[in-house]
Amino acid sequence: MTDLERTWDDLPVGPAPLDALLREGRREAAAAAGAPRRRLRRSRGAVAVVGGIAAAFVAGSLVAAPDSTDPVAALPPGAGAVDGDVATPVVFFGELEAPGSCDDLLSHYVDGGVDLVTAYGWEPTPLDRDLLGPGLSNSGEVPALPQATAPLDAPTVREGGTQDLAEAGTTRATSSETGTNVQEAGVDEPDAVKTDGTTLVRLRESTMTTYDVSGVVVRELGSVDLDLEDGEILLTGDTVIAIGNDGTRSLTNGYNYGYETSPQTRVITVDVSDPRAPTVLSTVDYDAATVTARQHGDDVRLVLSAGLPDLDFVRPGRNRDGAVALRTNRALVEATTIGDWLPTLGIDGGEARPLLACDRVAVPRADLGLGTMAVVGFHAGAPVEGHTDLDTVGLAGDASLAYESPDHLYLATPGATAFCAVCDLPVGPSSMGGTTSVYDFALDGTSATYVGAGEIEGMIRDRWAMDEHDGVLRVAVGPSSETGPFSSVVTMTAEDDALVEIGRVDRLGVGEEIKAVRWFDGLAIVVTYRQIDPLYAVDLTDQRDPTLIGTLKIPGFTSYLHPLGSMRMVGLGEGPTENGRRWGAQAGLFDVTDLTSPRRLDVHSYGAGSRALAGEDPRQLTWLPRSRTVLTVVARGRAAYVSALVVGGGELTNTSTRVEYGSDADQVRTVPLYGAGADGGDRVVLVTGEDVEFFDLP
Amino acid sequence: MSQESDFADYAREAWGSLVRSGVFLGCTLHEAEDLAQTTLVRCYTAWPRVVAADNRTAYVYRMLLNGLRDSKRRRWWGERPTERLPEAGDATDSTAGVDTADAVHRALAGLGRAHRDVVVLRYFAGLTEAETAEALGIPPGTVKSRLSRSLAALANDAHLADYAVGRPEETTS
Repeated sequence: MTDLERTWDDLPVGPAPLDALLREGRREAAAAAGAPRRRLRRSRGAVAVVGGIAAAFVAGSLVAAPDSTDPVAALPPGAGAVDGDVATPVVFFGELEAPGSCDDLLSHYVDGGVDLVTAYGWEPTPLDRDLLGPGLSNSGEVPALPQATAPLDAPTVREGGTQDLAEAGTTRATSSETGTNVQEAGVDEPDAVKTDGTTLVRLRESTMTTYDVSGVVVRELGSVDLDLEDGEILLTGDTVIAIGNDGTRSLTNGYNYGYETSPQTRVITVDVSDPRAPTVLSTVDYDAATVTARQHGDDVRLVLSAGLPDLDFVRPGRNRDGAVALRTNRALVEATTIGDWLPTLGIDGGEARPLLACDRVAVPRADLGLGTMAVVGFHAGAPVEGHTDLDTVGLAGDASLAYESPDHLYLATPGATAFCAVCDLPVGPSSMGGTTSVYDFALDGTSATYVGAGEIEGMIRDRWAMDEHDGVLRVAVGPSSETGPFSSVVTMTAEDDALVEIGRVDRLGVGEEIKAVRWFDGLAIVVTYRQIDPLYAVDLTDQRDPTLIGTLKIPGFTSYLHPLGSMRMVGLGEGPTENGRRWGAQAGLFDVTDLTSPRRLDVHSYGAGSRALAGEDPRQLTWLPRSRTVLTVVARGRAAYVSALVVGGGELTNTSTRVEYGSDADQVRTVPLYGAGADGGDRVVLVTGEDVEFFDLP
Repeated sequence: MSQESDFADYAREAWGSLVRSGVFLGCTLHEAEDLAQTTLVRCYTAWPRVVAADNRTAYVYRMLLNGLRDSKRRRWWGERPTERLPEAGDATDSTAGVDTADAVHRALAGLGRAHRDVVVLRYFAGLTEAETAEALGIPPGTVKSRLSRSLAALANDAHLADYAVGRPEETTS
């Protein structure tokens, strides 16, 4: 028997092909769900016509004093009216229409809601439920955070992003000013740890602690408890913005498994001007889920997603058959007011008030899922005391895939990225049909101005598949029912009121799927995967004529690519271990000097069963150019290691240091203090579950 | 979404045993990967039932066995990780995989399907007696008796001795 047992262990079984499993599962669930859903959506056309009449309507008012024709003043009290709002006007056109009134907006929601509601409320009927699979929540939960659902592929970093002449080459990517490895240079992202180079701030569970990292050893300075869950922080100047939620979860009704994403967002501003005594300045609550939070200088922008209203739905039972229950539930939807649909804002525990005025909520012509997106901008340093301190714009639909460059925000329909994209309610034929709608907003300070909208055939895997350079949106799209079985890189720009395609490269990775994308001003590196890991170099110097210039095929797959400079990239992923029979994490060193023939110079295998955590969260990787060292977190069994990979002579030399056990592996960060060393070198603060200390580089 | 991550965690954990079970139940390695994939995709679409099942492992292995018996099973074209580049022309490992599967099949061939199912689920995949019984739809007592008979038969099987000569270490690089 021992031989058979050994054979069992030694069978060359790779890792579970999760992407393929999820994609196929969603596809099957969607196919099963397709027929009933299409029947439900019969009356959407009428909504578009109503909206069309109001297409030229320019909403909002510069006049603070309300008059009877002002759409803001025309709101019923407490139902969308924002008192004292001296807002700049919001202009919608083309694919996004301003509602003529709050009633118009309400009818958009009600028409969609009546189609959607069943005898069981927002849940599908038990019959549909078996076809659809799980994921319905009582409150019409929004799809999960892109950060949470989609393993972070390759983030995008561009340096010198304003250069007019882009070169087809890679550029060095180092961590943000606050020590986080981010998607986009100049756009900071929240994380559990932030530093300004001398003080380090860490949020662990609900405790925010400050440390002095300017001395020989790390010293704890002070701490404050925040009434917050699932929080992450941004740091700007002396202000920490903590973003999380109040712990609200939708009910687990025995059918759902585990908890849903919180449908609530809490933003706590903390003054750390005296790091020994961090002080809470304000607490702002939104009853909508966080999609992204981004910081540009002192400006913070939240993209929030509100689901369907929580109504007192009935269910069929002994005294009520299905038809009666359905009629009752439809009547409940018809009786909603606009205040039931739009997200609210509460400041320092005060009364919740509408966050968005009706005229700031665009109605999309395309049939997105039912829901509301809210884009909220504010200054980190200034206290939020009312609506006037917020720059808001809304979209009456589900476009919860958000990507933010320094100058643009793009909202896209999530396609089949989230579990509930197939089973949750807000999935319209547009996304079911394999086409993605994209809305472009230009950013200026805290404001976001609608520029135009467009459609792309194919699915955008996640926000990492989008990039903007020079006003051009570049997107890596994966296959859908509207495309061939391959991936493409598409370039789009706003012309008049539309986002139009100006160039594309097709047939990247036929029969494969996108695993990672890395964007540069004049270049895209796209990694797809099926049995091997092809890496494609796409020349983007002429954005109207993107060209495939080089291909490299390697065993295993890469889920994260980090450019070290103009000549080298490091890829983290999984592949066969030395003896070739088992799989484990691996790091590869690539020579990208000649993009027409990228080469793999070296590969380091971390051994069977290991996982490169940076592949799932790039915030667990740090590049230290001065010492030519990549720090990354690798898990094996229950232990987590910091792997220091020194790059030199075309080789990777690894030193692993065990730093953590168990589930805290995800919390490990290596925070760089660039140039803080005695000899002008870099220092690194190692943050683990319990400890914050300096990390000695090998 | 937590359901999806729960599913992903489960799939990641179950994958190896499902594929190995497939091979031990008579599939080639590639067929076994297909079978595991089909099973897990079915798990995805029926996740609430999988979660609600009194015994998740038994439920999933029953789906695996059903998939195996379903001769009309659609062959799924999705991606599969392999050890080597297909175009590299180096088939050492996949050949070794085939050889290994062959050896396993020869070793287990003498058992008959009913006994083989029990020994694979109970002994190799590590299901409990109750889980094995539920997955196969047979009484726990039958699991026990079939297992002991199968193990005795395997211990006397000459194929195992043959197999021991060609261990994978000697056939792979």
